[in-house]
Amino acid sequence: MIVEILDIVIAGLLLGGLYALIAMGLSLQYGVARVLNISHGEFIMLGALGAWFLFGFGVNPLVSLAICGPVTFIIGFLLYRTVFTRLRTSSASIGAYEGSSMLASFGLLFIIQSIALIAWGSGIKGYTYLAFPVNVGGALFAANRLVALAFAVFLGLVFYFFLVRTRLGKAIRAAAQDPATAGLMGVNINQVLALCFGLGAMMAGFAGLLISICYPVNTTMGLEYTIITIIVVVLGGLGSIPGSFIGGFILGLIGSIVTYLEPGLSLAAYYVLFMLLLLVRPTGILGK
Amino acid sequence: MLEVSNIDVFYGKIQALWGVSLRVDQEEIVALIGANGAGKTTLLNTIGGSLRPASGNVMFLGKKIAGLALPAIVESGIAHIPEGGKPFPDMSVRENLEMGAYPYRAWTRKEETLKQVYHIFPRLRERERQLARTLSGGEKQMLAMGRGLMSKPRLCLFDEPSYGLAPIILLELFRVIKSLREQGLTVFLIEQNVRHSLEIADRAYVMENGRITSEGKSKELLQNDHIKKAYLGL
Repeated sequence: MIVEILDIVIAGLLLGGLYALIAMGLSLQYGVARVLNISHGEFIMLGALGAWFLFGFGVNPLVSLAICGPVTFIIGFLLYRTVFTRLRTSSASIGAYEGSSMLASFGLLFIIQSIALIAWGSGIKGYTYLAFPVNVGGALFAANRLVALAFAVFLGLVFYFFLVRTRLGKAIRAAAQDPATAGLMGVNINQVLALCFGLGAMMAGFAGLLISICYPVNTTMGLEYTIITIIVVVLGGLGSIPGSFIGGFILGLIGSIVTYLEPGLSLAAYYVLFMLLLLVRPTGILGK
Repeated sequence: MLEVSNIDVFYGKIQALWGVSLRVDQEEIVALIGANGAGKTTLLNTIGGSLRPASGNVMFLGKKIAGLALPAIVESGIAHIPEGGKPFPDMSVRENLEMGAYPYRAWTRKEETLKQVYHIFPRLRERERQLARTLSGGEKQMLAMGRGLMSKPRLCLFDEPSYGLAPIILLELFRVIKSLREQGLTVFLIEQNVRHSLEIADRAYVMENGRITSEGKSKELLQNDHIKKAYLGL
């Protein structure tokens, strides 16, 4: 019994760590840059397929982190500067911008996915890395899952301290609370928003890479993760980075419990939770 | 130090400022007074870089600043303290002050500047760790002033510092504004509270319907019949 509970909890934390990382990324994109990025999952896919692609050349996945992260950051940053900055300046209100930027991100979903399909095809891809079992209090886990959890928590914390402690991190938070006044402080708002979008894409890229260490991946995996991410972000409270972190772990645990009871139902359980949440507490755990 | 010459400013097709000119000298306190909707905030936003004039020029320390991006204007030494203070609500008092030191030239010296700001506003030191949203109206205004000073400005632009404040706090803040001159600062403030602003200012301009209609030494304006009737209720 105890081993079974441990089994469920640790599996939930593993899943939760990945969800937390992905949701922090979207939280930044939506909470600061005001883009409800439907193509978020595509950056997860890029991180995952990128790691798989590099593994084919013998690159260690943990080394790929240092490649896929910056690459997804640059793609996100440039996309914001070319597409979203223009939409923002031409929108009449912030509400209009949220609508048009979401539609634009829908388009990005199809563009990125199609390019990946052309490049890599639609087959399921996987590789074996650190697949030996590790005994944790009687429950057995593949070492790669524990490594993925450790990196997810580590990256989440690094990111959190970046936001809280550094000059740029403070500027991001100020821009999230009041962009006009942050501008009066000398913060280059367009630059900071693009930075947030890029960092959000980078978090997705990191998470995708960690996912590819544990699970098989393919070029159409993105949308399911986007939906899960939106559920986590709403659960944690829209725009709250700590909320996303906590929400990720909560959803991971729920997923793990449901998977234990009935493996096919975890996504359905997420939707039920999502609907209940919208009815009972639409502001989420840490929302205002 | 600051020279605004003949600027026109539009909101879309609507003209808000008509050929406005004014000048602020080093270590002077200059007030711009006028009724609500006269165009005072528009002028301040144009000097501060949030708006661009359609024509005319703004010079600061001998350099043209009209049309420069906001970060460059802040970097050049202008601090803009917005109406109502607008501190960042979910940041602590200290973090708000640190945000004021965002320009690079100020960031490296922020600990030292922070001490000076705490010396001017001991209340902010007491509330250092509190979130800005929990402060009273007067404390928020103090925080905004402190945050402005953190950028090590040469010129401070104040937008309605008296806005929504109790009289006793207003007097305290105006005393602080007046004392800024002793630290080598220059002040340009816009106000609806005509009496108090004329009492601390050296000179003042009067704005009506987007135009400067009169100017002069504060003492003289306080005696001016039109001002007395229109703004002081005498």
